[in-house]
Parts: sequence; structure tokens; C-alpha cells
Amino acid sequence: MTIPLAHYLIFSGILFSIGLAGVLIRKNILVVFMCLEMMLSAANISLVAFSRAQGTNGIPVYDAQVLSLFIVAIAAAEVSIGLALIVAMFRATRSVDSTSLNTLKD
Amino acid sequence: MMQDISTYCSATYTWGQFTPAFILIGLAAVLIMADTFVKSLPKRAYSLAAGFGALLVACYVYSGEHANAFGMLACLGTALSIFLAFDYTKVCCASIAGGSSEEGTGEFYALPLVACAGIICLTQAVDLIMVFVSLEVVTLTSYVLAGYFRRNQGSVEAGIKYLVLGAMSTGILVFGAAWYFGMSGTFILDSTVVIDTLRGGQVASGTVALGFLMAVALLFVGAFFKVGAAPMHIWIPDVYQGAPTPTTTFLAVASKTAGFALLCTLVTPFRTLAVPGIPVADMLVTAFAIVAAATLLIGNLGALFQTNAKRLLGYSSIGQAGFILIFFVNLDGIFELYSAMYMLAYTLATAAAFYAVAMVRTQRGSEEISAFRGLGKTNPRTAFLITVSFASLAGVPLTFGFIVKMYSFIALISAMQNWACLIWLLPVMIICATAGFYYYFKVIRAMYWEKPQADDKPLCVPFCTGLVLSICTVILILMGSWPLIAGM
Repeated sequence: MTIPLAHYLIFSGILFSIGLAGVLIRKNILVVFMCLEMMLSAANISLVAFSRAQGTNGIPVYDAQVLSLFIVAIAAAEVSIGLALIVAMFRATRSVDSTSLNTLKD
Repeated sequence: MMQDISTYCSATYTWGQFTPAFILIGLAAVLIMADTFVKSLPKRAYSLAAGFGALLVACYVYSGEHANAFGMLACLGTALSIFLAFDYTKVCCASIAGGSSEEGTGEFYALPLVACAGIICLTQAVDLIMVFVSLEVVTLTSYVLAGYFRRNQGSVEAGIKYLVLGAMSTGILVFGAAWYFGMSGTFILDSTVVIDTLRGGQVASGTVALGFLMAVALLFVGAFFKVGAAPMHIWIPDVYQGAPTPTTTFLAVASKTAGFALLCTLVTPFRTLAVPGIPVADMLVTAFAIVAAATLLIGNLGALFQTNAKRLLGYSSIGQAGFILIFFVNLDGIFELYSAMYMLAYTLATAAAFYAVAMVRTQRGSEEISAFRGLGKTNPRTAFLITVSFASLAGVPLTFGFIVKMYSFIALISAMQNWACLIWLLPVMIICATAGFYYYFKVIRAMYWEKPQADDKPLCVPFCTGLVLSICTVILILMGSWPLIAGM
């Protein structure tokens, strides 16, 4: 039994929405980071599903899988930069809460 | 008649296209290695090497076989931001390592080169994989640079805010790229692909066309974040104010160039569709008109009440992006050329303004506009140079800023020949251009109308600041009065 494309797309759409909502709503920067990763994973799932769906005779179009590999690599780099910044922020404010980011405002 | 997908399935790049990027990456690698192993070399040498390297690559990009204006502008902006860091190496050391130690400051001069290489690749991208990777090269290095002064809370805060919002826009862009691929079967940005997929692909289904439109909208959101167009402009004032001034300069000139290069790459496939009556063209033009109007209003009206000079320049960069977006409203015009020209005027004037802000900040200890008080008395020549750059941002006649702003109005008027309903945009532009005169002249007013305080010494102008201010001013006036000279 094969799982139809639509199921993958609905799943990745839900994952993307949860990630986006989390980024906008949550206050803890670490949780916000996890939500950002979730958005990228959602894109990866759609890419791999589409790569299979666009393929012919069981051979997927590898372009999409190449992009998803790039996304994984870049997400890792992004997290390392983000965690470094969070450590610097914790040293400065003793908090990982986004409400403590209040020195810059109108 | 459907075209076989394999005819446009692979993007073609040549190694020669990427020579400037390789040179920049190589230079950055050499500098980082030297930073690690040659401890005795003073860090100012790094900034000089990096700055001149970027300038030389700018000449190479401009004159080479694969000439592209955006790549040249990016190199120029990078060089200007590195030279700004050259003038203030002491401040950089104090903010990074604490005290006069130069430990760990070398990357601050090398990283902009990596970002610049990313921008050069981005300007030449023809498919979404290249777009994504080179865009991430630019943004990841920008996150590091924005948070580089880790002892300064504002800088760390700017870094985190930029990272969270930037990563969110990346996520949206990538999701758009996935759907672009899913609907069209390729990552290539090409008018044939766009037209075929909008007809519904090989199965001619409306769902495919709808999914494709969603993908394109998500891609545009990613590009709007880079250029700072509403509603993705929220990061700009905070990040510009908090980030180290050399980084702010880089974000304002080079990173914005990257955004407009990306926008050109994304919009170009739709140009052949730019006929009134085609639903997609109407939709795109309307969307661009609304985004441009919102950007203009938010940027220019938000700037009116700012007192911090860096924040003011942040809002100004949103406002100027609005004027550039007008070129894209005129969908069948030559928006690459005009937006590159506007970016040149904007780059020269904004870089000069940031040099002035950095000079005032280090010697008077404040970034507020009131810190410019009395410069007309204490430093009359410098005050004149600063006046010209702010006047050019406002669009005073006889400066380059006036010419490019006029082209922006002309673009709207020629768009109105096809889409007459766009006339509502004209009063918006006029209001925003007028508002510009008010808030840019706040700085000029502080320099000439406010009296210097008793203990205000004349500013001492560092070498690079003086040079860059003079060169930018001369170019702004020459380009601005060129039509008069050429007309006679």
C-alpha cells in the first residue's frame, strides 16, 4: 500500500503551521528555535514527497532531495549560531525569555 | 502544446561566473588563517586587506565578462562597511574582547567578504537551490556580524531578533521553494516554466496553478524580508539600532542589494505575462502596489518621530525600499537597471550618513540626532558633506537622490498607462517624499540651527571617514547635476 502524496502534504502543512505559530506566540527563545527547526523540517518533508511524486518509473527527481540535504546542513549552521547568541544573551540578561529583549524599541 | 520538462530541467552555470566569489572566499580564508596563526599582525591590516580586496573585486565584477550591477554594488557596500570598521578598530576591540586586546576581532573584518561572495552568487542564480544556498550564506554571516559585540546588550539583542525573524523568513522561502518544485517539477526560474505551470501543468488542473501561486507568494515573502518591505520590515529598526555600526552599514547597503537582486530574479519570469487583463499580471501588480504603499507609509511616517540617528536611518531604509518597489509595480519596465541605479544613490548617501553617525557616536558619546548639534560651527566642512548626503537621501534637486526619486515617479506614471487604477499610489508617494524632507532635515537643522555646547570640541575626522564622505558627496553632486551639464 502506498501513502498518497496528499497525506504527506497535509502533514507537512500542519507541521509548518505549528512551527510558525510557535515562533510568533512562544516566549522562551529555546522553544522558538525548536519551532524554527520545525518549519524547515516541514519544508524537507514536502520536498522529499514531491521528489518522489514528480519522478517517473519509481525514480525520484533528485533535485528536491539535494535541496533538502542543503537545508539540513544550513539548519545545523543556523542552530550553532543561534545557540551561541542565546548563551551570550543569557550572560547579559540572566534569562532566555524573549520579554527580556527590551533595550531596543521605539 | 506542452513542452517536455527535460528541456529546461538543468540550470547552467559556468565556473567563470563565480570567479569573484571564489576570490572573496579565498581572501576571507587567508585572513581567518592569518588571524589564527600570525598573532603579531595588527588587526587594522586585516581591515585594509579586506576592504581593498572587496574594492578590487567590485572593479572586476563591473568590468568582467559576467558584468552585473548588483554584484558590483554589493562589493562596494561591503568595502565601505569594512573601511568604517578600519576607522574604529579601537572601539571594536573594546566591545568584542573588552579593553585594548585584539583577541578574536579578526573575523569581524573577514566575515563581510564571505557574505559578499554569497551576494555575488545570488545575483547570478537562475534556480531556487542556488538562491537558497547563497541567500543563507549572506544571512548566516549577517547574524554573526549583528551579534558580534557580545559585551554589548543591544548588539546581542539585535543578533537574536535578526536570527529569529530571519530564520522564520527562510523557513517560509524554503516552503515556497518546495511547492514551486512540487507544482512545476523543476527549480529553474524561467518564464516557460511559469507560463506552463500557471496553465495547470501537464494535467491542466486548476489546483496546480493555485498551488503554484501560493509557492510564488511564499517566495516573495522571503524576498520582502531581505529588502525590508512591509509587512516583513519589523526587524529593521531594532537590528539597525542595536548592531555594530559597520554591520548596520553592511545590512543597509549590501544586504539590501542582495534583497533586490533576489526580487529581480523572482520577478523576471513574470515579465512576459505583464499584459493588462491577464489575471496573474493584475494580481502581481496589485500586490506590489499595496506592498510598496505600505512600505512607503510605514518607513517614512515611522521615521518622523525618531530621535536616535541609527534608528532614523533604519526607518529611512524602509522608506527608500518603498520607492524602489515602485519600479517593480511597473512590471514590464526595466526594473533591474532602475533599482540598481536607485541602490547606487542610496548606497553612497547611506554609507556617508553611517560614517557621520559613527564619528559623532565615538566622539560625543551619543547616537541621538541632538548629538549633531552645532557641527556647522565647529566643523563647517564636514557639516557640509553630511548635509549633502542627507539632502540626497531626502531627494533635494541637484543631488543624485533627486534623479533616482524622479525615475521612481516616472516608473509609476508609465505603469499607469497599463493599469490606470494605480493613480491612488501617486498621492502616497508625494506624501512620503515630503515626509522625507522633514525627518532628514532634522539632522541638518541640528547641525546648523542648534548652538554647540560650551564643552563641545570640534570633531576630529578620521582618515577613512573624511575620504569616504568627500568621495560620496562629490559623486552624489556630480550625478545629480549631470543632466544640467549634459543638457548644455
